[in-house]
Amino acid sequence: MTPVAQNLRALTLSLALAFLVASLGVGYWTLVASEELSHDPFNPRLVAATRDRPRGNIVDAKGRVLASSQPSPQGSAQRFRRVYADRSLAQVVGYASFTFGVSGAEGAYGETLVGQDPGDPVGQWRARYLGEHAPPATVVLGIDPAVQQAAATALGARRGAIVALDPRTGAILASVSMPNFDSGLVSDPRTEELSWQQLNGNKERPLINRVTQGLYPPGSVFKIITGAAALESGFDPNAKVRVDDPWRADPSWGAYAVRSAAKAHGDFDMARAYQQSENIYFAKVGLQIGGAKIAEYAQRFGIGSTPKVDLPAAAGQVSNSRALDRPTLIADTSFGQGELLVSPLQMCLLAAAIGRSGVMPTPHYAVEVRDAQGHVVRSITPGPSGQVVRPDTAQKLTQLLVGAVEAPGAFAFGAKIPGVSVAGKTGTAENPAGSPHGWFIGFAPANDPTVAVAVLIENATEGGVDAAPLGAAVMRAALGK
Amino acid sequence: MIRMQPLRRFGELRLLVLVALLLVTGFVAVVATELASFAPVQPVVPLLFIALAVALHLFLVTIGFRGDQLLLPLMLALTAIGLIEVERLASNLLLQQLSWCVVAAGVFVVAILVPRDLSVLARYKYTWALLGIALLLSPLLPGLGREINGARIWIGVGFAQFQPSEAVKVLLVIFFASYLDEYREVLTMKRLGPLPLPPVPYLLPIILMWGMAMVVMVFEKDLGATLIFFGIFLAMLYLATGQTSYTLLGALLLFGGAYLAYRSFGHVAVRVDTWLEPFAGDTRFSSGYQLVQGLFALGNAGLLGAGLGGGLPERIPVVWSDFVFDAFTEETGFLGGAALLALYLVLVFRGMIIALRAPTTFLQLLAGGLSFIIAFQTLVIVGGNARLIPLTGVTLPFIAYGGSSLVANFLIVALLLRVSDVTARVRGPA
Repeated sequence: MTPVAQNLRALTLSLALAFLVASLGVGYWTLVASEELSHDPFNPRLVAATRDRPRGNIVDAKGRVLASSQPSPQGSAQRFRRVYADRSLAQVVGYASFTFGVSGAEGAYGETLVGQDPGDPVGQWRARYLGEHAPPATVVLGIDPAVQQAAATALGARRGAIVALDPRTGAILASVSMPNFDSGLVSDPRTEELSWQQLNGNKERPLINRVTQGLYPPGSVFKIITGAAALESGFDPNAKVRVDDPWRADPSWGAYAVRSAAKAHGDFDMARAYQQSENIYFAKVGLQIGGAKIAEYAQRFGIGSTPKVDLPAAAGQVSNSRALDRPTLIADTSFGQGELLVSPLQMCLLAAAIGRSGVMPTPHYAVEVRDAQGHVVRSITPGPSGQVVRPDTAQKLTQLLVGAVEAPGAFAFGAKIPGVSVAGKTGTAENPAGSPHGWFIGFAPANDPTVAVAVLIENATEGGVDAAPLGAAVMRAALGK
Repeated sequence: MIRMQPLRRFGELRLLVLVALLLVTGFVAVVATELASFAPVQPVVPLLFIALAVALHLFLVTIGFRGDQLLLPLMLALTAIGLIEVERLASNLLLQQLSWCVVAAGVFVVAILVPRDLSVLARYKYTWALLGIALLLSPLLPGLGREINGARIWIGVGFAQFQPSEAVKVLLVIFFASYLDEYREVLTMKRLGPLPLPPVPYLLPIILMWGMAMVVMVFEKDLGATLIFFGIFLAMLYLATGQTSYTLLGALLLFGGAYLAYRSFGHVAVRVDTWLEPFAGDTRFSSGYQLVQGLFALGNAGLLGAGLGGGLPERIPVVWSDFVFDAFTEETGFLGGAALLALYLVLVFRGMIIALRAPTTFLQLLAGGLSFIIAFQTLVIVGGNARLIPLTGVTLPFIAYGGSSLVANFLIVALLLRVSDVTARVRGPA
């Protein structure tokens, strides 16, 4: 029998340890998970700040007002209601509902829009204790109305996404995600309940920004990454590789084989392989340089890590296990199938990096915050995110991708623009959810691009061939052609 | 209580000045953010509370009380934080909470004065046990019991409502302290090979206790009280015997019962599933709504918090009783929440030190058990608020809105003070 005093000490020690664990738990939610919780769409905190006063405007690069607060009719619960101008930017601009929280730029720049810019602690203090709210600031997006209009028109009512950005700065010029929704209905207290229920229950998931959050197999656009890995591994792009459809590396593959889209038989070099998007060529190249190289280059181009964009984005994946360790998986991944998942934004960044000699920009929707008098409070210029491949590799790939658009018989012919050299690649992505998705990514002018684009059409009838002309339309709007 | 010359208690007084500063600062901060809805009662409440605190201090001075000087300021600091939070979250309940403070202070005074000798508590142990069981079962009586928010744990007479389980906790500790003091040698006799099993008759109270805990869980749907009762029981069994095996066996019994309940009773299953996946599905309509809103509040805290009045804790349903810890932490930050936990820990340490120094085993067990109640209850509700364990309807001691809990906790502190007073008289001042 131990003395009670000894038991008291042991019990006290255990309780003290339990208190330590409890404070660690509190620390997790208050410090570690804080950022994630503040972006939860159901978190009511940011909208609550503006029940009785106007939120700031969200405008595009030409000053067109995309979201503004208008006085409500007498007798409404809220003194202001939010009005949205461009439905094609529904997921980008977002909504601000008292019950359902915020999304898009309404959420990402929520503090700025209520006059409590994070860089202004004095303003936050005055708002809290003196009730003196700084006039809300205006958030300027990089969206170019002409490019946005072209992208929305090009995609039409088809499910999918189009994104265009300036590869020199990373500013997003156009961003369309279909199907979309009416932000005004979600933000209006009278309609938010019903509207939200319909949108949230909708199987086509209109609330998702497919540009940043939609994840798809990349199909043949991934061959740009395979090519980059091959060139930097010393692979000779002029070497002839034998292609015979269907192809198996060895009998262990069983019934499985890599198929050629053109049912090709012949010798291919890299230029012809890009023009005709030859799967067997890239499968053989991928196996030759190895799965580790392919995985490394996919990661260099940002697949599997969340892009540092100012709206919520998805990371995608190289494979379920993050490694490429089986020959069939390496072969499949090398031409863009396997277990790859990417977002349209990630593919647009891939095009931008190739166009800018291997320098990948950091994408961003907002470009400036302006105060109520129109003075620029801060410019959003995150700069490049890094040199992902050597300049000579990028230049060689640019040359090959110009061929993929402009050479006779090239698959991406639909992306041609008269008088401008266009580099691009189509993709047709097999997927478990129906007919293949159509991809096109590209940039122009090829030698010094001012626009990079990614087009994704879900369950397109003709795959990448459908997508290429949409890319051309968007780039023409950006180039003013 | 032996009457003596008045005895100065400067340590206590100095700390009470800090408590007054804390209360006034907190009230000014909260009221300043809601000047539009200013009511004249608001400045009166802190002044009345400070008067109450001074009265309790002078009372102890007048009777020549020789007990601990830290407990009263600690208790009043926590109660003051409770008043600030009630003003912040449910100011319409402020006067009610202040009235409960007065009632609790009355009970405190009675507990300090009335039992001339604490051994009275030990002598009538079976009376306390029977009273405890009667109180525990009283909510099940038709006409007397009331079901609120799905739990049948209240009894009501006219307008007033009372949660008997709060009093039962204290009665249980008194009963166990005396029972275990008497039989601790028998209970540690070795029988049945390696298993230290006590003779069967002495096991009866243990089995009875388990049965009671299950009754509370099944019929009154009060998971929190079940956990607290069983926790008290296991902790005291350990304090008396030092047998870790008893504690493990008891914990196994509890988890076994809890698992059966999880499989058989909807209200238990909902709690556990909510805990495991609070963010599952559409949290606006799911059972996780309250917990998720609480986590949002914590997430808004950061290191320094949103400032009193600057957060949005009022969006958490029943925040003033179930989630007051999250509300406090949202507005005072991680540092505020951690400081609050530290305040509880100091109180618990002080209680345990009183237990260590107590002259008899009965008093050691009594003080240890009472301190454990405060520690364990704090851990259960903070753990539930921070999603470390499933959420149970336990009140945050001294702070959460509610009269029964406040009265019971004042009683606990009064008894701890009595034990320290006895020690000081036996051993001379610390």
